[in-house]
Amino acid sequence: MAASAAVRSAVGLTQRFVRVSPDCSICPLYRLNACTGATDGFTAPNRRLRTSIGVCQTEDSSSPEEHERVVNVVFIDRSGQRTRVQARVGENALQLAHRHGVDLEGACEASLACSTCHVYVSSEHYEKLPEPEEREDDMLDMAPMLQENSRLGCQIILTPELDGMELTLPKVTRNFYVDGHVPKPH
Amino acid sequence: MMNRIISSKLVDSMCVISSRRLSFAQSAVNTVQKQKELIKSRELEKDELRPLYMDFQATTPMDPRVLDAMLPYQVNYYGNPHSRTHAYGWESETAMEKARKQVADLIGADPREIVFTSGATESNNMSIKGVARFYKAKKNHIITTQTEHKCVLDSCRILEAEGFEVTYLPVKNNGLIDLKQLQERISPHTSLVSIMTVNNEIGVKQPIEEIGHLCRSKNVFFHTDAAQAVGKIPINVNDWKVDLMSISGHKIYGPKGVGALYVRRRPRVRIEPLQNGGGQERGLRSGTVPTPLVVGFGAACEIAQQELEYDHKRVTVLANRLVQKIMSEIPDVVMNGDPEQRYPGCINLSFAYVEGESLLMALKDVALSSGSACTSASLEPSYVLRAIGADEDLAHSSIRFGIGRFTTEEEVDYTVEKCIQQVKRLREMSPLWEMVQEGIDLKSIKWTQH
Repeated sequence: MAASAAVRSAVGLTQRFVRVSPDCSICPLYRLNACTGATDGFTAPNRRLRTSIGVCQTEDSSSPEEHERVVNVVFIDRSGQRTRVQARVGENALQLAHRHGVDLEGACEASLACSTCHVYVSSEHYEKLPEPEEREDDMLDMAPMLQENSRLGCQIILTPELDGMELTLPKVTRNFYVDGHVPKPH
Repeated sequence: MMNRIISSKLVDSMCVISSRRLSFAQSAVNTVQKQKELIKSRELEKDELRPLYMDFQATTPMDPRVLDAMLPYQVNYYGNPHSRTHAYGWESETAMEKARKQVADLIGADPREIVFTSGATESNNMSIKGVARFYKAKKNHIITTQTEHKCVLDSCRILEAEGFEVTYLPVKNNGLIDLKQLQERISPHTSLVSIMTVNNEIGVKQPIEEIGHLCRSKNVFFHTDAAQAVGKIPINVNDWKVDLMSISGHKIYGPKGVGALYVRRRPRVRIEPLQNGGGQERGLRSGTVPTPLVVGFGAACEIAQQELEYDHKRVTVLANRLVQKIMSEIPDVVMNGDPEQRYPGCINLSFAYVEGESLLMALKDVALSSGSACTSASLEPSYVLRAIGADEDLAHSSIRFGIGRFTTEEEVDYTVEKCIQQVKRLREMSPLWEMVQEGIDLKSIKWTQH
């Protein structure tokens, strides 16, 4: 995250430089043979990594309005213990769980490559969530003990209309920790 | 030899007993000898000619090209397809995925929608129990027909015991279901409709496309047992709007012990798995996929796709030949099932006034099957024939002729000839036939018990 931000700021710097002295040789993109050949001004190539992390905000980009838009969510863990948490709008449920110490496993860190953040959504709120995309459905297929109201936690983006949602953790995940071991978030 | 010594010794020792008792002992010994001869005659002798095979609905011989495809994977490329770390696993996995594509192409599906199982029975169990149990929170009603295969009916019975509600739709006299009745029975609580494509006993073909569209419009999942239809009639799961389909390997000239279940991905069908484990086959059917068997299955599907049209034409010609010859030579023969909406290779004929078992015994050198459940322990006639409204006496006298890819014209001619000959002979012996010739209406007779 920080690295991409640094690159972006560096390219921005180069952009300002180039407008003053339009010489390709100093441009890092030219040096790396990644220049797209845009001659008019200088347009940075749009190479944004497509992950769901990109959707959420970073720690530093917090504007005052968003702190006020808080979503109340209840996590019910494997032993039945209820944890009321407050979420920021735009956050995903996996991040939320990790912030508050709820042991929702997230082996692939929200990159839609596993099924360990599988949760059951309370039925009233399940309909309010958008339809899962095909890749999420594929990963959900692999999760044990699926139910009709199952979703992947990392794909639940919190919005104000989901206030009061209850997320129940299933008894097992794909990892066979029958001894009760719970892996720590990365 | 030994028997004779024993029997003579037995007879000698019985000398003192009265003559009546002596003859009884003698007859007892003779019966034992006769039974031993009968037992010998059930299995074929070493050089004896094998019967003609006319039972292609029960199983089919494996196509030699399928065997060719399977053999390297039995002895050379024997790796576990789920081994990710070495070439044995990789080559097995490639073969397995190739077979998956071959199966999918035959039914117009995506390869990711195919789950390999141990056969159509497992596929039927998985789909019916799996869908019912997954959606049981809101939906607890299942609809099926009375002419389904036993595995479907038994799965439904078990679900009934678990608390589900099951409707067994009746069929018309021609074996087809009434679409209006189906429409009336579908309710908001229905999770699954299961209707087989081609019946294995009478060969009727249900209107699957119409049923599929009906189910999709009412948001109900549609499962079809296509074990007898795959590779024999053209199938497209997207045109027919089918959500789940069971396929069997050994009905399409492939190996026994393997089958597949088609599970639609869009809209997604969820199933509670019957077999849990390491999550193979999308988590729906854990267990090592048997590479040689699926390779054979895939090859059989590819061959079936290439030869479907030719085989269908040939089987139709042979079937028409069989039916016309029999019906023209002997009167009072009834074909069970709709004459138009059927797969031609499965012909179920009832010969009135002749007992089915005795006709099968008489046609000893042709391997046939009877419509009545002689294979089951009870003497009850087949439930399929009862569902289409066949009289009990006709149900007892039915024979199923199965024609397939390897049936020749001479085999059909020989079977027809033998059949006509034996039916005429048995009818001559039959008192019922005599009475009918004299003009007596059998239904008006009051039979008494002795």
